[in-house]
Formats: sequence, structure tokens, C-alpha cells
Amino acid sequence: MATYDFLFSALGLKQWCASGESSAPMSMADLLTKNRGGEAEPESLWDVPFPSMDALNEACGNFPQSRELTKGLEQGFLSIKDSLSIVLDPLTQPLSWLLDGTLYGMLNTPWWIVIPLLLLVVFAVTRTWKLVGFVAICLMLLAFIDYYEYAMQTLSIIFVCAFLCVLIGVPIGIAMSRSDMLQRLTIPVLDMLQTLPPFVYLIPLIFLFSVTESKLYGIAIILYAIVPVIRLTNLGIRLVDKDVIEAADAFGMTSRQKLYRVQIPLALPNIMAGVNQTIMMSLAMVVIASLVSAPGLGVLVLRGIRNLELGVGLVAGLGIVILAVVLDRVTKASLARINASQK
Amino acid sequence: MARDIKISIRNLYKVFGADPLGAMAHVKTGMGKAELLEQHNHVLGLQNINVDIREGEITVIMGLSGSGKSTLIRHLNRLIEPTSGEIEMDGENVLAFNDTRLRKLRREHMSMVFQKFALLPHKTVLENAGMALAVRGYTINDFEAEANKWLTRVGLEGNGNQYPHQLSGGMQQRVGIARALASNSPIMLMDEAFSALDPLIRSDMQDLLLELQDELQKTVVFITHDLDEALKLADNLVILKDGHIVQQGEPQNILLNPNDPYIINFISDINRARVLRVRSVMVRTSEPPADSAGEISERDNLESVIALSGGDTELTYRVMKKGAQVGVLDMKELIKALVPTEAQTDGPPGQF
Repeated sequence: MATYDFLFSALGLKQWCASGESSAPMSMADLLTKNRGGEAEPESLWDVPFPSMDALNEACGNFPQSRELTKGLEQGFLSIKDSLSIVLDPLTQPLSWLLDGTLYGMLNTPWWIVIPLLLLVVFAVTRTWKLVGFVAICLMLLAFIDYYEYAMQTLSIIFVCAFLCVLIGVPIGIAMSRSDMLQRLTIPVLDMLQTLPPFVYLIPLIFLFSVTESKLYGIAIILYAIVPVIRLTNLGIRLVDKDVIEAADAFGMTSRQKLYRVQIPLALPNIMAGVNQTIMMSLAMVVIASLVSAPGLGVLVLRGIRNLELGVGLVAGLGIVILAVVLDRVTKASLARINASQK
Repeated sequence: MARDIKISIRNLYKVFGADPLGAMAHVKTGMGKAELLEQHNHVLGLQNINVDIREGEITVIMGLSGSGKSTLIRHLNRLIEPTSGEIEMDGENVLAFNDTRLRKLRREHMSMVFQKFALLPHKTVLENAGMALAVRGYTINDFEAEANKWLTRVGLEGNGNQYPHQLSGGMQQRVGIARALASNSPIMLMDEAFSALDPLIRSDMQDLLLELQDELQKTVVFITHDLDEALKLADNLVILKDGHIVQQGEPQNILLNPNDPYIINFISDINRARVLRVRSVMVRTSEPPADSAGEISERDNLESVIALSGGDTELTYRVMKKGAQVGVLDMKELIKALVPTEAQTDGPPGQF
């Protein structure tokens, strides 16, 4: 006799319930009560359970248990997985090539070419020698403690993923800024991507792609890091001075001219702030993605946890901090340069 | 001075709200602005506007904040679409223009100067001045000479390579004017162009505009909330209140014959002697007076005549225009003209 028996008898569903009585799998708790001899406890009002799926199942065997929800979801996903893979696999294959190619390129070019090249890039975007010196010291420090290879792996993954985030995110942000409807639809998705624990992305991705493929972590990083660049592009374009937009209209600009000559240039400080955030979030995710075979400093952190190698874990963690500081300073400095050129 | 009509606005209405056309039906049946807002939650921005803007003149549209003057000027180049009514430019119906034709209108026929300057902050002064030409597809090499010419004309020679934020407000608005002039459009729309500037610079800019106007004879539509500015610049003055025209015509005429308490309020504290001109108060005749105290120009203001006469009300002057006598000014008439006018009770608003 279960608490909610009356509900099903009132609804006249006794017949339907009885038809599924035996087929329902038993929970551990059920099994234990059965073994204990199934003594019927007197029901008090204090003990009335919430009419949850499991409680209702007790009263009616045909009613699904809650574990069938998760099971159903899993089965649903598994059944569409194959057809989904057929579409997604070729679509995302270039990401694997890009990641593998960049990793190969960065690691097989000698350090005395890679480091000066990176410093040149830093100078090109920031134009400050002080920062170039700082970056040089950081990189050489990492190389000196033999973490050069790991750091370069991490860096090249960040470069590829951040680049793709900007490539995909900026157009999405622009489209959002032009249509309120699209903005309303996109913002919940962005909110979800931003709040979902990063580990959760990994689960369906593991089912979809093989763990040996680099696109697996590539997609996880891009999904996680693309949000700020979309948000800030949208915001930046929406915040462009209405008077200037009106002037552009009054002088007969087409919407394309307006976009390229007014909106994007004026939104650039905000877009660059988004790029900075995107790069920092890629770095955060590249560490977590080492769980699914992303190479780099994250692997060492993972080794530190798994094998309790305290020193390795701490030094790798410090290496990540150094990379983060370098990336942040460089992007902030180039952002400041843009801000200075347009007040 | 009957010039051709360049832009003609007929029965223009603008209703703001969720369903402007539905609300428009109520307006047509005679519902007022306050009732429309209260009963239907729609704002009647402009009602029954009829204005003829003549070629080569400065038409000033004056009104306080919320009178709809900025809304009205944006109808001319359709930055705001009217709810009902007609706008014609050179006999063409502007409202029937498609996108391409409308862009051509904005690029080649009408330029605009804004209250907050609205310059592109990431472009140099030179590039800003040449914006209208750049929009048409010219590169900086093509428009550099033209843009520099107009920058020089507005007194910004040598500032071409600076950025707008490096200039003062007055200089930025000079760039705004150069930008409008460089488009070589016959019509210039100026939306409170000098309101953000401090008084001395504003006066300078007004002089600059009048000087340019003498030379270029553009059709200028100028919006302002400042009566002194309106009287200084206007060939034709349109006074707006709550979205409708209270009175329009030659400024001198409005000053001497205001037909609405609203306008009397407006003009009560201005210096009439400085604004009124001899031609507005003289008696038109070609016969020389019996004892002329001297010759004055029809364009002189009354203040200068009072100074000339030394305050003697017994004198009579010959009024001259281009060397010929056009009238006679009796100093007693002049004093009468300085008496503040009471509101007229006859004649519908907006008509003479």
C-alpha cells in the first residue's frame, strides 16, 4: 500500500497501473525493504513523501521512475548520435587539422625562431618595448625550467581557438546588434554556455567524437570562450553614439558603409575587450580540456593531481599564471592603443 | 523678393506610438494632443504643418524643447517618416522616393549639421570634412582638395590632420559646417547647430553662416530655440508650439504683428530697437519729405537711427535703397514701433 494509491484509483487508472506492475526495475531501497520482510510501517502525516516520480511509481507500477528520465535522455542522445556525427564530423574536421597543424608548426620550429616571432607580434600589437621585454623574460623563464614545449602547446591551442572565436563570434555579435529578435533568442543560449559547468560540455562531446581527436577539446574551448566576444560585439555596436549614426544616415551611407566605416570602428574598443576576455577564458578551459587529451600545461596539472606530484602541479600552475599575465597584458595594451586613437 | 519654392511641406502630421495610423484617424476627426495622449497613449508630434521653404533663403524654425522642431527637420530628409502629409522638393514627392533615390537625395541634395556635431571620432578633421564625398565613393586623394578648401573657408586651415577630440566645440562645429558645405548640396539642414556653443562663439558662428550665405545662396533650414538667433538669421521665421505652427512669415512682421500670446511672451524681453529695421516701420513713398534730416538705409536697425537722431523725435529721414528713395521715416513712428505689441484678436494663426 503506497501513499498515492488513492490518486490512481480516483483517476480510474488502476487497470493501467497493474499492467506494468512487474516490468518496473527495482531500486536498491525497494530490495532492502523486501529483504527485511516488508514490514508495513504505519503512515503518519509527517512522513508523507512529495509526489515525485519515484513515490508515484510506488503506487502505480506503470508510472516511470525518475532514473528513467536520465536513462531516456541518454538513450535519446545515443540514438541520434550516429546521424549527428555524420553531419558534425566533416563539419568540424578542419578544426582538427588547424589545431594539429598549429601544434606541429609551433613545436617543430626551433625556439630561436618562435620566441623572436612571438616578441615581434607583441611589438606589432602594443608598440611598447617594455612589454616586449616582459614577455621575453616570461617565455625564457618557462623555457629555462624546461616547460617550453608545454607552454607552446597551450599557446598554440589558445591562438587557434581564440582566432576561431573571433571569426565566428564577431559576425554573430553584429547580427545580434541588428535584430532585437535575434538578440532575445541568443542571450539565453549565451547565458547557458556561460553558466554551464565546463565539465558538462565535455560529456556529450566525448560521446560524439573520439577522445583522440583534437577537435574534441577545440569545440569545448570555443563553446566556452566565444561568449564574451559575442556579447561585447553586440553591446559595442549598440552603444555607438546615436548622433553619429544619424549623421551617417543623413549623409546617405548604405548600411554596409555604416557598418564598416562607423559602427565597427567605434565599437572596436568593446570588441577588443571581448577578445581579451575570450583569450583568458580559452586559457581557463585549455587546462580543464586536458582531461580529454588537450596537450599543454594542463596535462602537468592533471599529472600533479593524479599522481600527487605536488611540485609538478604547482610549477605547471605557476606557468599557467605567467601565460595568463602575458596574454592579458598584451591584449590590454593593444586595447589601450585603440582607445587612445579614438576618444 | 519672390523666390522659387524649394521645399514645400503640406498638411504634415506625425504621431508617435504603437499604432500611428489608427491614432491618426482620431486626429483627423479633431482630437487634440492632450486628449490623444490621455485616451490612446499616442503622442502627436506634429500637426498640420504647412511651410514653404524658398530657395536661397534661411528659413528658421523656432520653438521651445518639445515643440517638434527637431522632428520636423528630420522629415525633410526622411530620417523620420511622416504619418500623413506631403513633402515636395523641386516639385518631386520626397515621400515616394525608394531607397536608392532617397540616398541620392541625402548625398547630393541635402546636407545636415547637428547640435552635437556628430563627427566621426576615429577619422581626422580632413576625412570628416570629406565624409559626404567619401560616402559617394571618392577616395581621400580625390576629395582632399575640396575638403581643404571648405576647411579653409570656415577658418580651420592647418587643422586637417587633427582628430575631432583635439578641437574645441566651436572648431568641431566648424568641421560640421565644412562637412555639410563640401557635399555641395543646395539645401543645408541645421539642427540647433549653434546651441551647444557658448554665446561669444555662437555669435561668431552666426556671422560665419550669414557671410557664407551671402556668398553661396544655399537654401538653409535652421532650427533654434533662441529668439535672438532666429531674428538674426531668418529670412523666413516659423514659430512652432506643441507641434503646430503658431505664426510664420518675415521676422520683422512677426515682431510688429504677433498674433498669439505665446509669441508676445517670447518677444517681450528682446531689444526691439536692435532687431527692427527701418524698412519695417517706414512709410512707403517716393516723395521726399518737406524737411529731411538726412538719409538712412532701409536696412539700418532702429537703434542706429535713434543714435543718429540723438533722441530728437521731431526729425524725419529719407529712407534709401540702392541710391533711390523708397520711403520716409518719422521719428514719432519709430517710437511707436518700440511700444510692445498687444495680441491681435483677428486673423487665424499662421496667416497674414
